[in-house]
Amino acid sequence: MPVSGGGLAAEVALAGAGGIRAPAEVFNSIFVVFLGLGTLVGTVVIAYTLYNAYKYRYREDRDPAPDLDRPELGELPESGGKGKKLFLSFGLSAVIVLSLIVWTYGTLLYVENRPAEAAQEGTEILDVHVEGYQFGWNFTYPNGHTTGTLRVPANRMVNLTVTSRDVFHNFGIPELRVKSDAIPGQTTNAWFVAEEPTEYTANCYELCGRGHSYMDAEVVVMEPEAFEEWYASTNGTAANGTASESGDESHSDLEEAARP
Amino acid sequence: MSHEHDHGHDFPPMSSVKRWFVTTNHKDIGILYTVTALFFLLLGGALAMLMRVQLWSPLWNVLGEGAYNQAVSAHGLLMVFWFISPFAFGFANYIIPLQIGADDLAFPRLNAMSYWAYLFSGLLFIVSFFQGGSFSGGWTMYAPLNVPTFMPNVGGTTVVLALIMFVAAVTMGSVNFLTTMYRMRAEGLRMRDLPMFSMSILLTVWMMLFAFAALLAALIILGADHVFGTTYFTSDGGTLLWTHLFWFFGHPEVYIVFFPALGIMAECFQTFTGQRLVGRKWFVLAMVLVALQSFVVWMHHMFLTGINLEIKTLFMVTTIGISLPFDLMVFSLIYTMIKGRIRFTTPFLFSLGALILFIVGGITGVFLGAVVLDYEFRGTYWVVAHFHYVMVGGATGLFAGIYYWFPKMTGRMYDEFLGKLHFATYFVGFNLLYFPMFVAWETPRRVFAYAPGLSSWHQVATVGGFILGLSFLVMFYNLFKSIATGEEVGDNPWEYSTTAEWAVSSPPPLENFPGVPSYEGGKLSFRDEHEAAADGGASTAADGGTADASTATGSGGVATGGGALATAESALASQATAEPEHADHASYWPVVVCFAGFLAFLGISGVRNGGFYYGLTAAGGVLAAVGFVGMAQESFHVPEPTVAEQWPFGGVENMKLGMWMFLGSDVVLFGGFIGSYLFLRVANGWQHWHHLIPEDHVVLPGLLNTYLLLTSSFAVVLALVAAHKRSRLGVVASLGLTWVLGVGFLANKAIEWLHLFHIHSEAFPNGWEVGTNVASSTFYLTTGLHGAHVIVGLIMILYMIPRAWKGAYLDDDSSLEYFGLYWHFVDIVWLFLFPLFYIL
Repeated sequence: MPVSGGGLAAEVALAGAGGIRAPAEVFNSIFVVFLGLGTLVGTVVIAYTLYNAYKYRYREDRDPAPDLDRPELGELPESGGKGKKLFLSFGLSAVIVLSLIVWTYGTLLYVENRPAEAAQEGTEILDVHVEGYQFGWNFTYPNGHTTGTLRVPANRMVNLTVTSRDVFHNFGIPELRVKSDAIPGQTTNAWFVAEEPTEYTANCYELCGRGHSYMDAEVVVMEPEAFEEWYASTNGTAANGTASESGDESHSDLEEAARP
Repeated sequence: MSHEHDHGHDFPPMSSVKRWFVTTNHKDIGILYTVTALFFLLLGGALAMLMRVQLWSPLWNVLGEGAYNQAVSAHGLLMVFWFISPFAFGFANYIIPLQIGADDLAFPRLNAMSYWAYLFSGLLFIVSFFQGGSFSGGWTMYAPLNVPTFMPNVGGTTVVLALIMFVAAVTMGSVNFLTTMYRMRAEGLRMRDLPMFSMSILLTVWMMLFAFAALLAALIILGADHVFGTTYFTSDGGTLLWTHLFWFFGHPEVYIVFFPALGIMAECFQTFTGQRLVGRKWFVLAMVLVALQSFVVWMHHMFLTGINLEIKTLFMVTTIGISLPFDLMVFSLIYTMIKGRIRFTTPFLFSLGALILFIVGGITGVFLGAVVLDYEFRGTYWVVAHFHYVMVGGATGLFAGIYYWFPKMTGRMYDEFLGKLHFATYFVGFNLLYFPMFVAWETPRRVFAYAPGLSSWHQVATVGGFILGLSFLVMFYNLFKSIATGEEVGDNPWEYSTTAEWAVSSPPPLENFPGVPSYEGGKLSFRDEHEAAADGGASTAADGGTADASTATGSGGVATGGGALATAESALASQATAEPEHADHASYWPVVVCFAGFLAFLGISGVRNGGFYYGLTAAGGVLAAVGFVGMAQESFHVPEPTVAEQWPFGGVENMKLGMWMFLGSDVVLFGGFIGSYLFLRVANGWQHWHHLIPEDHVVLPGLLNTYLLLTSSFAVVLALVAAHKRSRLGVVASLGLTWVLGVGFLANKAIEWLHLFHIHSEAFPNGWEVGTNVASSTFYLTTGLHGAHVIVGLIMILYMIPRAWKGAYLDDDSSLEYFGLYWHFVDIVWLFLFPLFYIL
């Protein structure tokens, strides 16, 4: 199954580093299809509903089915006919929904299994450990360097291992379509590939206390060379620029706000 | 009607304030529920307005962080718990007995209790705002933010306790409605013939019975973490434990909220299109499927928590599976319009509006069913927009209900123009409020410092929110005005309505029906009471029952299939008068008991701070004791129906069925506790667990207690045997023995606990107390909950012994039997707890 899932996704045009299709692309392509079909189905069904509501509006002089015996007070319930039509539309809607889900299931397998496959293929992967706390994020690199700004090279698979120091948080970078729960006492994983050197903001997506609204972190996507240079300069020291470069400000704001 | 007053009953008229405090009549309680729920709608709505003001610009900070989080949390909790379901249950209370042909609910005083517990739990919630701030962890209350370590204000604890009280109200209501609907239907009205609204409520209360029990387990544990210092949600695995418990409740809750609206929509579609519901049978079957499946989809709220691919796949499948029955229901409603004669009255407009909103909510829900999309939608406004389209879409169906039944409940017609105006502003406001949230979906949920680029969409939403809010001014004005000056209506203002509530006057008389409602002839008719009683008696008088036409109770007893079980009281009543017996409608005790509960819970919320709060707790406890004794002593008579359709519980009296239902929910409660224990034990290492338990925690006290409880169960059986043999002393002695054994159980437990509290071993130098570690927390809390059940049982025995001394159970041993059911259940629970906590 995993292989076929990967294969299915691979049929679509590949982009990103080393033929890795980023989750952002996967998400966007599925989202567009859902949005298109959803709008179409919604419009058709609602239009049909309104059409019937209008067509069979009450008119004193015109009964659309004069022979029909209408419901009477105190009768025991029974079904109105049209069962065949009901099942036809039900079947149709079920087919649409099921095929959409089956289709996306392949991409789910792709997203779930890609990091392991990439590791097997020997693709270069950057592992970053993410720790949430009230109210900021720490990023720890394989060399032990810890910082409050997530710096990653463009066009490389980044594998995040996410956890929390205190309460339930959720780490997400919306533009890169990466998101993972940060749960105290356990880790979760998520991965992404950033294509262009630019800056993003990571947010917390789970209500975690007073500072939740301000709990964000800078994400800097760098040219690979620039990244390597920066990474070499960190030299595994956790001291310089640690803890919460970005979190500091909001942190003190909050402490102030917390005072009576 | 005048008959009631002739009996000299001190049941005050509706204009009297006293009436509303003492009433137990289902129609009064229905009105109380409706009015109270609308009050909480205003409160929750006001909080939403505050949020929308704050969200006007990401740069504004009107409320401040703390207040915004409180507003978000309280808005969610109040709307989901204190508004939507109680609003639906206002209609359920008023309409269901009328629809199924019952005089009242099976347990009218319990119904009043349920209402007052609901009201006071809401008041408790309101008090929390003034205790250093209310709960601020979102309506999902994720752990461990929900414990005092992270939320030290007393108000946070109060909300947990308010929720516990609310769940108590819900459980009483569920037991009551289930018993009523299974046991008190009009002759000839089979379960499958229940009108759509009644059917939807039936399925709702089934889901409530079990889902809310799981929530109760979660809340009691959370309350213990707050009050007793247990460490469930701060230990390893505690965070996920909460999400499992909460969503096991939380997903059925979505349907609990939506089903009543669906029932009302089905009723309104039938009435105002003049067409019978298309595929009714399949519609009902689809609802049953949803109700069952709702308990196996909860992990789709947890796709990002690190659960493995197999489980994700499984829950994706169940989730998509549960969406399909709704397709069928939507199409059924649409096709019902075809060839109809559709009158666009206010209730129909709201029903149609609800259908359209639900279509949008349903389609956007399919997006969330695709796991890859769900990953990114998690925690964003897509989710907010989707569930508001579904849940507030459901509320739209409930507003259809208030217009639909307003003439029945008040006897007057609402103003149609104002009703349509309400709908127009409501519908426009709704879509302006929630649709932009889909567009601005990248906004993180519960965040006010969102990306500035999205602010124009949030401003549209804010404008929509205010339009939606203002539309309710139109509704309230309309309803107030129409109660006073609306056009008077007859029994049935709606052409093509079919259900029984439209066959009685508006508003209906206290006893509901002009005769005994019956569907025997294939159509609703009202039969003369005596004739019906005689018929009902004759048809089931196999055991030679005294089918005397003049004694309704006698044949009533026969009709229930347990001829010998006619209660002593009812026998007396039927001797005293040859007339059909009257029912009581007034009792002070429900409000007293629930007020006591309010005081006690308020006290418990602050016991960590001592002082004043101890006093409140004590006062509440004493008043509750007085209230319960008062209620038990009160002569309150509710006749069971003389003839009724009771399949499949024909041979089970109301009380017994009620007890079964209650124990059913109790099974889930203990299931929640045992499941939590197992979950945490696995999370902490099954074997490692032994290191968390001192050497002194030995098997012997548990084993001893197992013997004590088993013997006591045997003693209860002896009491029943003695009652059959009409041995008064035997009953008293057996009950006394049960009591002594129960007390022995508790004494043994007390000795064991005291010893463990004060041990001084190397591993546990400061004793093994409640909060020492996760093992001690689970041990004390789970066995403590069981111990509390034992204590309740012992109190019941204390009440029963003096009655047994007077010979109360010799003629009618049903009370003994119900107690026995409870007691055996408590014993069986122990048989599970003993190996789990002492041996494994």
